[in-house]
Amino acid sequence: MKIVVLVKYVPEPTATWKFAPDLTVDRAGVEGRLSELDEYAVEQAAQLAEKGVASEVVFLTVGPAKASEGLRKALAIGGDKAVHVVDDAIHGSCALSTSLVLAKALEKEGFDLVLTGMASTDAELSVIPSMVADRLGINQATFAGELSVEGGAVTIRRDSDVASERITASLPAIVSVTDQTGEARYPAFKAIMGAKKKPITTWSLADLGVDAAAVGLGAASVRTIDVAPTPARTAGTIITDDGEGAAQLADFLAGRGFI
Amino acid sequence: MWVRFVLGLLMTVVCLGIAGRRAYFLYRVGKTFQPLEAERRVDPGSAVRAEVAEVAFQRKLLRWTVPGAAHFLVFWGFMVLLFTIVEAFIGLVKPDFQIPIVGNFAWFGFFEDLFALLCVAALAVFTVLRIQQAPKNLGRRSRFFGSHIGPAWFVLFMIFNVVWTLLAYRGASINAQELHEPANADKMGFLHGAFASQWFASILPKTNVEFWETFFLLLSLAVLLGFTVFVTYSKHMHIFASIPNVAFARRPRALGALEPVYWQGTKVDFEDPGDDDVMGVGKIEDFTWKGLLDFATCTECGRCQSQCPAWNTDKPLSPKVLIMGLRDHSLAKAPYLLAAKNADGEVPEGGIPEAAAAEAARPLIGPEGDETAHVGEHGITGEGVIPFDMLWSCTTCGACVEQCPVDIEHVDHIVDMRRYQVLMESAFPEEAGIMLRNLEHAGDPWGLGASARLEWAETLDFELRVYEGDKIPDDVEYLYWVGCAGALDDTAKRTARAVATLLHEAGVEFMVLGEAESCTGDPARRMGHEFLFQMLAMQNVEVLNEAGAKRIVVTCAHCYNTLANEYPQVGGHYEVVHHTTLLARLVADKRLTPVQRVDAAVTYHDPCYLGRHNRIFAAPREVLGAIPGTRVQEMPRNREKSFCCGAGGARMWMDENLGERINQNRADEALATAPDVVAAACPFCITMLSDGVAQRQQEGTAAATVSVTDVSEVLLRSVRPDLVDSLSAS
Ligand SMILES: Cc1cc2nc3c(=O)[nH]c(=O)nc-3n(C[C@H](O)[C@H](O)[C@H](O)COP(=O)(O)OP(=O)(O)OC[C@H]3O[C@@H](n4cnc5c(N)ncnc54)[C@H](O)[C@@H]3O)c2cc1C
Ligand code: SF4
Ligand code: SF4
Repeated sequence: MKIVVLVKYVPEPTATWKFAPDLTVDRAGVEGRLSELDEYAVEQAAQLAEKGVASEVVFLTVGPAKASEGLRKALAIGGDKAVHVVDDAIHGSCALSTSLVLAKALEKEGFDLVLTGMASTDAELSVIPSMVADRLGINQATFAGELSVEGGAVTIRRDSDVASERITASLPAIVSVTDQTGEARYPAFKAIMGAKKKPITTWSLADLGVDAAAVGLGAASVRTIDVAPTPARTAGTIITDDGEGAAQLADFLAGRGFI
Repeated sequence: MWVRFVLGLLMTVVCLGIAGRRAYFLYRVGKTFQPLEAERRVDPGSAVRAEVAEVAFQRKLLRWTVPGAAHFLVFWGFMVLLFTIVEAFIGLVKPDFQIPIVGNFAWFGFFEDLFALLCVAALAVFTVLRIQQAPKNLGRRSRFFGSHIGPAWFVLFMIFNVVWTLLAYRGASINAQELHEPANADKMGFLHGAFASQWFASILPKTNVEFWETFFLLLSLAVLLGFTVFVTYSKHMHIFASIPNVAFARRPRALGALEPVYWQGTKVDFEDPGDDDVMGVGKIEDFTWKGLLDFATCTECGRCQSQCPAWNTDKPLSPKVLIMGLRDHSLAKAPYLLAAKNADGEVPEGGIPEAAAAEAARPLIGPEGDETAHVGEHGITGEGVIPFDMLWSCTTCGACVEQCPVDIEHVDHIVDMRRYQVLMESAFPEEAGIMLRNLEHAGDPWGLGASARLEWAETLDFELRVYEGDKIPDDVEYLYWVGCAGALDDTAKRTARAVATLLHEAGVEFMVLGEAESCTGDPARRMGHEFLFQMLAMQNVEVLNEAGAKRIVVTCAHCYNTLANEYPQVGGHYEVVHHTTLLARLVADKRLTPVQRVDAAVTYHDPCYLGRHNRIFAAPREVLGAIPGTRVQEMPRNREKSFCCGAGGARMWMDENLGERINQNRADEALATAPDVVAAACPFCITMLSDGVAQRQQEGTAAATVSVTDVSEVLLRSVRPDLVDSLSAS
């Protein structure tokens, strides 16, 4: 069984992000990393390979040149090789066009199971898995807290506030995994070095047969009109309890419409 | 005459043969270990100085007055006995032999006998100590807990036998000379002063004197030679091994900087490591032969164990038992190490005894959660040679290295084993992974990121100068390295503000790096993650060198150690000063004047990385002492013997769920001095001690008014009492 894991290279969440004049995130000016939530998908793939369920694990990313660092990180955790779709025309793509590129790349690479994170840590839309599933016409099972593959089907546990469901989907399918699946291993130095020797293939839009005009900032279905920094957090109110504490607290909450 | 010569010669040849074979065996085992680090050069000057101080004058042993003095006497007793031994050996063929010149004098014999008796007196002291401090009575609190008790008694007994048989031989020799050949009576002048030997002469039979002389000569040589053989097979090896061990030791001491990672004697290049390079120690033979020499030299004295914070809080780590465990394993695995290997580097089946093959198959570090792992009176049991929790309990406080009379380098060995676990196996306490990931991604252990690094300064009432990417301007005297804690931890931010305020008050021009600063890499390095340390260190050094930093002031003991001692390894050479040193200087120069009385009993805690690792003991005390009204108090364990707060060695970032909490133990010690203020000079110590004190306050056993704070804040209370309130975040 062949697994392809979709991994996104995102700006470091703790870093100070800046925006380029075209109102996209200035990715060159900020440290990036493999999206933390995608590490869970990578770990699941690595475990399936270790259990002998998967015979091949491939990581796929769509992103700028530096995104290959994210692929190296994934390859240090496990997997056999990676595919990097990189093309200047992709800059500024919205979720719809990103999913188009991903779907085309998946078609070209071939797969039995696609694993993804539950959301990217930058745009956090959580829509890519469904969009890709739709484009490829395959089953989807999202937000898996646990997953297993048996007899040509994938079974997941998906927890919500009201219920814990078990869902089975026959392959080929796409599954997004949550942080409940378990923290990714911390790669040993040996593995980091080993990852440098695993192959990364780069594809352009032309390689995928995607029209450059169908993606990118120009084709985006959503346009960013303005960006402004979040106002700094204002200091909280400290109520010293001099016997009246409870009443003051109640007033404070009532004054803001919480009670 | 012939008989005694032949017998004596035979004994000597046989015993020295056995001892020599043993020595050769150990040498061959040592050859299978790694070569020395290329940078570890023995500087003859400092080696000789160390031999004189530590071997001849027993500097470290004498820190413990009674056992130190006793050992001093045994050592010098043996040195003087060497003359007697020479006399005895030559006496085999020339009964009236005397050492040229000095042998003519009665005082020489007196001197020899005096030292022999002092040696016996010292043995009596050891006997009393060993009974008083027996593990049977004191349990884990005994420094001998886990040592080989039987052999230790045997050694004392054998030394006693060596001394009395030699004296008896000299007594018999006096009788033989005087009665048999009265003409010789004046010849061996030294014997006239040999009062103890004279006493033996008086009680020995006056008939058959030649027989008795021969008898006691052969007996004393037999005892001496037998003892020599025993020594080469026991912990008493130190009487030979300590000399080279001290010579090859890291100078001035194996504290402060850690060594980089070496493989086959050369530094590992993490950017482009060799394919077969092994990072750290994964098998016993990955230690250098100096490591093996360390293991062989350990005397099992337990000085290290008595000071170890892990051991003293019931954790499964004793530096002594660890070293003993490594020695036992080295010897048990030796047949495997020495055996011929086939093309795959394996020992063919049946090629070595089964026990050795089994020992070779044992992992050096046991798996996490190994139920069979135990560290107790009879050493270590478990799957691994060193249990997982033993390796990870160490705070790298250096108390063991400080104490060890034979300069064993425990911390280096522990970190080398951690390096393999982290870099090659990725096996370490899981919770520490969060810290490592945070360092990697955010550049600080809390994962807050560079953008948060200036928040501490928002409430300062003056304009803080922040580095903006060019060269540091010439008028800046110091670059203030705030450190991750100072910038990001709420309690430590107070200290950062206090130090900045004091520097400003003193008119010191200083600047901070702000977002350009990241973790020095200390916790990564102490955990064994050398790769991450190198990355952070190189990044910081690049920033510092680009900025042209020359003088740096630091508030964190760990940052201090890394910047001052470790950055030179990666091309960063700066004059680094700890804030307590700088503040002491500013007070002495009257640039800061403590005006307000601070009527408080202040108990000072020496941070390991400031005190033991960097010998800064005086400055913080000077600062506190300069404040009118303060009474500076000491805990029983202070300065070189300071007890760790529990945060070092990246333990800050690991759960502590074995035994008593180290910080509680130390906080209780501080509270026992009835302080108003517990002062320290490292943010991690302050966090740890605050937690410990708060715990007791909650339980109602400590006064609610006791505060734990940095030395600088106590000074600020005196210099600018009006500003103390502003230290709290708004
Ligand atoms: C209002 C808005 C405006 C935006 N404007 C811009 C813009 O102008 N320019 C711009 O560059 N971006 C823009 N984005 C971001 C961009 O649309 C999304 O990053 C992208 O479409 C993927 O969506 P997501 O990150 O939310 O992924 P999610 O749907 O949250 O991701 C789920 C999973 O899909 C996979 N995945 C997602 N993206 C990739 C990828 N690139 N490669 C491989 N796997 C992936 C991962 O496994 C991930 O865990 C905008 C987003 C929003 C919400
Ligand atoms: S460094 Fe400290 S904690 Fe570690 S073994 Fe030595 S004394 Fe114990
Ligand atoms: S390591 Fe040093 S201090 Fe510890 S028992 Fe051995 S000789 Fe003594």
